[in-house]
Amino acid sequence: MSGPNGMLYGGDEIGALVFDPGHHSLRVGYAQEDTPKADIPAVVGTVSATHIPDAEEKVPDGNVTQTGSKTGGELRHYIDITELHVPRAGMEVHTYMKDGQVDNWDLFEKMLDYCYAKVIRSPSEHHPALFTEAVWTTRPAREKLAELLFEKYQAPAFFLVKSAVLAAFANGKSTALVVDAGASQTSAVPVIDGYALVNAAVRSPVGGDHLAAQAKHMLNNMHIQMLPLYSIQSKEVIRERERGRYTLKTLPAGLTVSWQQYMLKRQYEDFCHCVAQVSESQYEERAAASAPFSHYEFPGGYHQDFGPERFKLTECLFEPTLGAPHLAALLEASSSVGAPVLAGLSPRGPSLRLAARPPWGSVVACGGVASAPGWLERLAKELAARAPSSHRLKSHAAPNSTERRFAAWIGGSILASIGSFQQMWISSQEYDEGGKGQLERKCP
Amino acid sequence: MADILDILELEQPSAEISRDSIIHGDKVKKKYVTAKAVKRPEGMHREVFALLYHDNKDLPPLLPTDTGKAYKQTKAKLGMRKVRKWVWAPFTNPARKDNAVFHHWKRASDEAKEYPFAQFNKQVAIPSYSESEYNQYLKSEDWSQAETDHLIDLCQRFDLRFIVIHDRWDRAAFRDRSVEDLKERYYGICTTLSKVKTNPWSNTVTMVNGEKRIYHYDAEHERKRKEQLRRLFDRTQDQIDEEQMLLAELKKIDARKRERERKTQDLQKLISRADSGNLPPLSQVNNNNEGTSTPSNTASSIARRHDRKLHKKKITTQQRPVRAVESVTVEWSGIKFPEARGTGVWLRSQRMKLPAGVGQRKTKALEQELRLLNIDIAPTPTEAICKHFNELRSDLALALDLKNALDSCEFELQALRHQYEALNPGKTLTIPPLISNMVGDNETKPVGEIIDVVGSPSALNSTI
Ligand SMILES: Nc1ncnc2c1ncn2[C@@H]1O[C@H](COP(=O)(O)OP(=O)(O)OP(=O)(O)O)[C@@H](O)[C@H]1O
Ligand SMILES: [Mg+2]
Repeated sequence: MSGPNGMLYGGDEIGALVFDPGHHSLRVGYAQEDTPKADIPAVVGTVSATHIPDAEEKVPDGNVTQTGSKTGGELRHYIDITELHVPRAGMEVHTYMKDGQVDNWDLFEKMLDYCYAKVIRSPSEHHPALFTEAVWTTRPAREKLAELLFEKYQAPAFFLVKSAVLAAFANGKSTALVVDAGASQTSAVPVIDGYALVNAAVRSPVGGDHLAAQAKHMLNNMHIQMLPLYSIQSKEVIRERERGRYTLKTLPAGLTVSWQQYMLKRQYEDFCHCVAQVSESQYEERAAASAPFSHYEFPGGYHQDFGPERFKLTECLFEPTLGAPHLAALLEASSSVGAPVLAGLSPRGPSLRLAARPPWGSVVACGGVASAPGWLERLAKELAARAPSSHRLKSHAAPNSTERRFAAWIGGSILASIGSFQQMWISSQEYDEGGKGQLERKCP
Repeated sequence: MADILDILELEQPSAEISRDSIIHGDKVKKKYVTAKAVKRPEGMHREVFALLYHDNKDLPPLLPTDTGKAYKQTKAKLGMRKVRKWVWAPFTNPARKDNAVFHHWKRASDEAKEYPFAQFNKQVAIPSYSESEYNQYLKSEDWSQAETDHLIDLCQRFDLRFIVIHDRWDRAAFRDRSVEDLKERYYGICTTLSKVKTNPWSNTVTMVNGEKRIYHYDAEHERKRKEQLRRLFDRTQDQIDEEQMLLAELKKIDARKRERERKTQDLQKLISRADSGNLPPLSQVNNNNEGTSTPSNTASSIARRHDRKLHKKKITTQQRPVRAVESVTVEWSGIKFPEARGTGVWLRSQRMKLPAGVGQRKTKALEQELRLLNIDIAPTPTEAICKHFNELRSDLALALDLKNALDSCEFELQALRHQYEALNPGKTLTIPPLISNMVGDNETKPVGEIIDVVGSPSALNSTI
């Protein structure tokens, strides 16, 4: 890390872990790596022990975490795709997230157990842990997380950073307006000098989940049936738009509604990822009709080309629907917030020079939905139409979709492996002395 | 090295690896390679070539194979020195107040020294005051002590980033305050305390010629400035259009006014000439002109004609200098800063933006020059500074271009000299000192001195 002539370069990695919990998935991995080790769906399947047939009990090392012995009322937990996507009688699917923060701590604990045991495969007391959080995370939730990490997992050190800040870092910015289009919501957060402006942040509940719901609605209207993938035994090759010919599997009885819905949602999401495209400007029947088609085959074997529907589908992200504040309005709100910020940026303190560029100047886009083709261009266009005329606007996003989706995690990975960051951690000593009250001070 | 040799199918050196065997050992290899080598076609990538040809001409294995032998033998020795061990070692960080121990990789041979990144632990000095000091000097009608304490605390936490401080201001406990209010109070405290206390805070007090200078924050000015900015940003498209329309109208009115003045002047002349006798033909033309521009004529046509006239004037005035320049064929390329841009009001700092035509490299070079001159690369844009700064940068750009041109001329001259000397062996071409830049040390020195005079030597040292 230190070279000749006293120059210091590179980072200093201390074996830290980075966790980025989201509504769609939890990203976890070692700091200094470029992608998370695992991207785990943010849901936990539970089966009450009475349901479990004896045969399964003997499986020695599935990735199942179990609490206690098999007595009445005990639950078995199934985490990650390989376990979760198996049809099981009586398996309920629960999410532990709510409103951008962890809500069900018992389930989240199971998830962390799984991460340490099956992903990291190393004891938690060896690794400092850096967590990302949404800007509006409440104080009790933050403190609870610190408590969990220090008291249950004996982490040597812990730190919390706002995900918008990390996304800006991942794009090489310390001052930016970060637009995060995640699963549960889309938010715009101004970040200045590495600090998120909490009160200036705006969000709308339109995100990837809404898009999937929209896809379901659209397919229903087109009378296309989305059969559950797990129920198909085999299917025949058929011509386009022909009725699907398939045989069904025999499934275990007692599949729960929550699990079936979860599985179907994944399929609708897949449909969105393959088909959805954001049009350059507002949806127009004629322009959309001339765009290239995209082919999609449904689990039952039915397949067809999708043309204008591709654009119609994503229009909900930019248009007001279902009474939700749409993205454009959202950005408008953040821009009116941005203006005083902007005005405040140009003056200088006597010695401290504030960033010369207002956050308007650089807009950083991240999150899963941001990787939909055309989304970034549309955002840039919508913003340009609303920006003060004298402002040059520049939007940034990682070129490939994984980096966009993992922007917050990557920022965390960068931050936790910077040498000068190592003084920021809340160590277990500090926690023992100062308690969780210092969290507000130490993690801005 | 055994496994590498195995892969290359080279003979294994039987003896211990020594300096000799490494230096002379490759003779054997070379022979082997040249015997079989197929020449790589030009332009083909090494990797592609490697896929097509290798030593024994069979296809690369599809599956990873393990010969079972390679890895069990002596380890690869790639250097003469022994490899230095890395260890996962504990360390403490002096930048931390607790003595937390973290681990990182370090060379076993490196002796323990202070954590190198601790040197980046810089903190802004924030004034502090005691209870009695507060009561004595800092009491304010507007600010309670609790609120002041909160402000100082936030200043400490966010290193005087007032925008962030404003965002995190405890609005539940205290009333909402603007960024200017916060700054005003903070700098007020600094000023008061630095008058009564001896320790100066680096950021608000500067010593100039042994005399304390305290930063004065002009809150009223800032408020006005931001209000102006806000209005500028909040203009709607309608307002911008209206503004443009008004500006156009103003131009028309001006043009009409000038036209009228011209007419009265002509009239005056006409009268005076009529008084003195016969009319010259020129005024007839003028008269004709006036005949068409009866009051019914639209203002726009007047404006247009006026414009045309202006053009003519410009052309005639421009012609002379062009001819003068022709004899000097130096292509001068300073920076042309565009005049007013955008509509309506704009920020003066925009005038200092380099135009888009200036490339990245040139921008970097300019910044470097400015740094050498110890000049802020983004100074506060007052009218005068703006003007001088732009002129300076334009001159600097020109100087850089000239320097480049000089360098290339010099290069050409030297090349020609070498050519001459090669064609006429034994002769040397002496370049008259007048056109040569390659002069003795005694002549370059003054130049160096001049540069030193411009930028202070200490600045030169610190920036290099
Ligand atoms: N190529 C794509 N096109 C459209 N949507 C996509 C694409 N890739 C991912 N998504 C959607 O992005 C969402 C996941 O985004 P992301 O991982 O940023 O969410 P999250 O961080 O888990 O959730 P949140 O930020 O709301 O807590 C999912 O809803 C997924 O369907
Ligand atoms: Mg997210």
